[in-house]
Amino acid sequence: MRSVMKLGAVKRDYQLWLMILPALATIFIFNYIPMYGVQLAFRDYDFSKGLTGGEWKGLFYFQQFIESYLFSDLMRNTFFISLATIIIGFPAPIILALVLNQIRRKSFKNVMQTTVYLPHFISVIVLVGMLNVLLSPETGIVGHLMKAIGLGHINLLASSNTFIPTYVISDIWQHCGWNSIIYLAALSSVDPQLYDSSKIDGASRWQTIRYIDFPALMPTIVILFILSMGGILSTGFEKIFLMQNALNLPVSEVIATYVYKMGIVSNQFSYASAIGLFNTIINFIFLYTMNTISRRVSDTSLF
Amino acid sequence: MEKISPRLGGGEILFRMVLFTICALIFLMVAYPLYFIIIASVSDSTLVSTGKVLLFPKGTSLFGYGEIFKDERIWTGYRNTLFYTSVGTLVNLLFTLPAAYVLSRKEFKARKYIMFAFVFTMFFNGGLIPTYLLMKDLHLTNTPWVFIVPFSVNVFYLIIARTFFESTLPPELYEAAAIDGCSHFVYFVKVALPLSKALISVIGLYYLVGHWNDFFTALIYIRDNELKPLQIILRDILLSNQVFASGAGTGGDSGGYAQKYADQIKYGVIIVSTLPILVLYPFLQKYFEKGVMIGSIKG
Amino acid sequence: MKKQIITMLSVLVVGTTLLTACSGSNEGNASDPNGSSGESGSKVKLTGVVVKHPLTKPLAEMEWLQQIEEAAGVDIQWQEITADWGQKKGTMLASGDVPDLFVGPNVITDADFAQFNGLFQDMSELIEGAPNVQKMFEEKPETKQISTQRDGQIYGLAKYQRFWPDTVNRQYINQTWLDNLGLDMPTTWDELYDVLVAFKEKDANGNGDPNDEIPMDWSGGIGGFFNPAVLLGGMGITLSSDVSGQGYFVEDGKVKNFLTDDRYKELVIFLNKLYKAGLINSEVFTHDYTKLQAVARGEGDTAKVGFTWGWVASDRFGEQLAPQYASMSPLKSSSSYSGPVSWSYDSYTLNYGANNIVMSAKTKNKEAAMRFINELYKPEIGIQVLFGSIGPNIEDKGNGSYAVLPPKDTKMDPGTWKWTSTWADNGAFYISDTIDLTLGKDMQEVLTQSEPLKDALAQVDSQVDIYPGTFVKYTNEDNNAMSLNNTNVMNLANTTFAKWVTKGGIEAEWDAYVKESQKAGLDKNVEIMQKYYDEFVSKL
Repeated sequence: MRSVMKLGAVKRDYQLWLMILPALATIFIFNYIPMYGVQLAFRDYDFSKGLTGGEWKGLFYFQQFIESYLFSDLMRNTFFISLATIIIGFPAPIILALVLNQIRRKSFKNVMQTTVYLPHFISVIVLVGMLNVLLSPETGIVGHLMKAIGLGHINLLASSNTFIPTYVISDIWQHCGWNSIIYLAALSSVDPQLYDSSKIDGASRWQTIRYIDFPALMPTIVILFILSMGGILSTGFEKIFLMQNALNLPVSEVIATYVYKMGIVSNQFSYASAIGLFNTIINFIFLYTMNTISRRVSDTSLF
Repeated sequence: MEKISPRLGGGEILFRMVLFTICALIFLMVAYPLYFIIIASVSDSTLVSTGKVLLFPKGTSLFGYGEIFKDERIWTGYRNTLFYTSVGTLVNLLFTLPAAYVLSRKEFKARKYIMFAFVFTMFFNGGLIPTYLLMKDLHLTNTPWVFIVPFSVNVFYLIIARTFFESTLPPELYEAAAIDGCSHFVYFVKVALPLSKALISVIGLYYLVGHWNDFFTALIYIRDNELKPLQIILRDILLSNQVFASGAGTGGDSGGYAQKYADQIKYGVIIVSTLPILVLYPFLQKYFEKGVMIGSIKG
Repeated sequence: MKKQIITMLSVLVVGTTLLTACSGSNEGNASDPNGSSGESGSKVKLTGVVVKHPLTKPLAEMEWLQQIEEAAGVDIQWQEITADWGQKKGTMLASGDVPDLFVGPNVITDADFAQFNGLFQDMSELIEGAPNVQKMFEEKPETKQISTQRDGQIYGLAKYQRFWPDTVNRQYINQTWLDNLGLDMPTTWDELYDVLVAFKEKDANGNGDPNDEIPMDWSGGIGGFFNPAVLLGGMGITLSSDVSGQGYFVEDGKVKNFLTDDRYKELVIFLNKLYKAGLINSEVFTHDYTKLQAVARGEGDTAKVGFTWGWVASDRFGEQLAPQYASMSPLKSSSSYSGPVSWSYDSYTLNYGANNIVMSAKTKNKEAAMRFINELYKPEIGIQVLFGSIGPNIEDKGNGSYAVLPPKDTKMDPGTWKWTSTWADNGAFYISDTIDLTLGKDMQEVLTQSEPLKDALAQVDSQVDIYPGTFVKYTNEDNNAMSLNNTNVMNLANTTFAKWVTKGGIEAEWDAYVKESQKAGLDKNVEIMQKYYDEFVSKL
């Protein structure tokens, strides 16, 4: 009996290995093989000697970054922008999914869903162009609205106080619907019997959301939250760069835009690698910590 | 869900009113800018940027669309993108879903280590140049395969799929099936996949849109015009509009004429690139309906 | 079940192979007719990258290019790049996967030559077989200087385009508004202030609404093209766009930076006064280029902007409103100022370019590539590279004189037509001073509107009063240090400039700001640049 079980386990495992093999192979080939390039952050880039042949500089480039004139400003700005994006931006798609899930009339629900997911497809260049037009205090529709409700003449793009809110809210506007799809899918797996019995128990809709829908989303929420904490220093580049102007620069200069402006994207490979690696390590520490906390507290974790 | 109609108590009415108000607000906030893109794509750009175009198009012309479709590369681009997207997504799903299933099995001992190895790659990579050299050595540069084979597993989506399998497939289900002599292959294909239509549509959609919007791969790895996907061509057209900003100086007035319609192109590009994908969503939407999964178990 | 999966997989594999095989063969067929397997067996095949303007038509349609490829006996397969060159270049060079020729404005930089040592061909010997390039070097020694690296190699060739004016910036005021209000053309800052106040308070454009005039506008920021930095000329500072974007200029043989100069402080105080009085567009620091241009184009015959800077009136205000605007002379900072009045001097930037064509060291047939370059630098070809082919774009009047033709499509302006027809300014070429060419309307307009600046520019000694940014070849180390420092300096300068103009406070914060700028590396850069300037001047 025992040996039969064991044999079964082996057979079972060989099938599992076979199923994961394609994924393992591509990840190994295309992600792990090029990883020797990481050493560029510790070496001078020397074209004639190849990627791994340059002079060993140790932590020189890391030091250069940490000691650079704007380092503390950059870290602060980068950190605040992504923290704000996580705190406000993360719950938004969850709430949207719960709201959409409550709509009973199918046609209405379909229209809503399709509409909210569309902004995802707008390219950054166009999005920022639209922000410029729509948020203009003189001529934009948001400018008109703000005047109408008595907020007065505020140039949302021109102040260090309003830059982060504008950035975060436009980000939510653009990606909230798209990100809610995953939660909607998770909600579709809720057993309808649960709803039926809750109704018989006389639960209000608010209670069904709280005691049935929300718990069903919990595993997905935890995993996605851990992952988003792993992006604490990745603000993205293009949108911030395009939204920058001299008036919001004190809060909008982030690591990615600074690196771009130094022109090291095209030339100083070693310095760029070092800054990249520095970012990565901090991100990874955040992810690892969150994952550990989550494994202890909720039993849901990445690894 | 529809079977039992809720009692219309006071709470329910209030709930409906709040729900309706929220939805209406969300709808307006999202729909207006989308509508704005449409009217801006046919209006005089000067009027658009000075805020004269708010509710209706003004100075209407189809110049922008004319410019976009004048570019013959658009059609090759459409053809290429369709190919890369469909085959790419198929390969993505074939590689990702089985792996996600495996990683969701608690009895798979190596899962913790493999998972870590996968997540690790979300953060650490060798950089563009070693990757480019690898692609070159594998003879993938400047071929259609570069869109399909490398990075066919997106770790983020893999994690989502794994979480979904973990939380929706009751462990008892496999145990019961195993007793009947059901192998993992059979269980995966016959039970797990049919129960995960919502997941497959979501992951499929994410992958598909990823391929559809991808211009970076082409930017770095493709030199042949015949192989370029739609997005890189649209990006060229779009950036041409931006170039006017620095067009003066050494260049002189490079865009006086095109300037007037430059923004039309900008907004038109969005519509041209999004329409095909727009029609897709409603087809997938039905899989998000409640109860699809459990219903199919019982059926 | 297993079988099913295997069948599915194999169907997929076969299917995809078929599909790609199909698309593969399609490409073969599609590219074959353009290839030269049949008609030109003896031609040397080369590959090239050209960085062209997005409006530019496909290279295959450029008559002059076909002619010179024919004449040089080469068949070049061009990869035409209109966007993202910086990003593509990085991987292309680092992987060593490069074409034979590169064409574009500074398409490969001096820093690239230093970094990718061995990847590019030193053309100094090959040039002996290229009489047209040699002729350019002889007639315009500056081009040789620009093309030669510190150690004497020639990796990239310069261009010379001769016709461009001495400055990028022209200063415009709405003459119709002045006439409507019975005002004189201002000549000093204070007079400008009074004029702008009148523009604001009265109905200058005469449409019945006294509040829709924007007295003054520019693209925001300090440094770069078309912005108030040129007003510093009213206190004797001569800018040059090579380096003045970051504030650097030369005065009495010394490299200085206006960002920490007291005259800049005065300028900012003046701008703040204008801003407080509501004379500057309130969106000046936030509007994008599209809006900046759109606003200046007004509504029909009604202009909206009173005073601004630009390249040429028809581009800045549109054809319809351009006649309302007059080009102005530089303004004196005050009526009591008696020193020289200057402006920005950019002739080198506009008429010369560095590294416009570069050859790879891996090129198999370097002589053939050089033959092509030689053809390209023929003066009669040069005008075609810049303005378009003889026939559709240029008229050959015989006896060696030529004229640029107006656009075929009458709706199109001549500037745009040039960019659509040919490589234009992005190309590599030499236009000798002797060739007789009548310019198009657009260039004539630029030159006419530069007239009021003539006196200010005439007092500039272009050899010693201008930082020789076009000619200087920095070491890699200095180059990196400077770009790093400049990023920091400009971050500070842009932020404070915008703040001081809109909110004031410069008097209180000035000293701390100057110290901070030095900390950001401004002095170090001035020191580095002084070294190169001295070296340049000593060789004159």
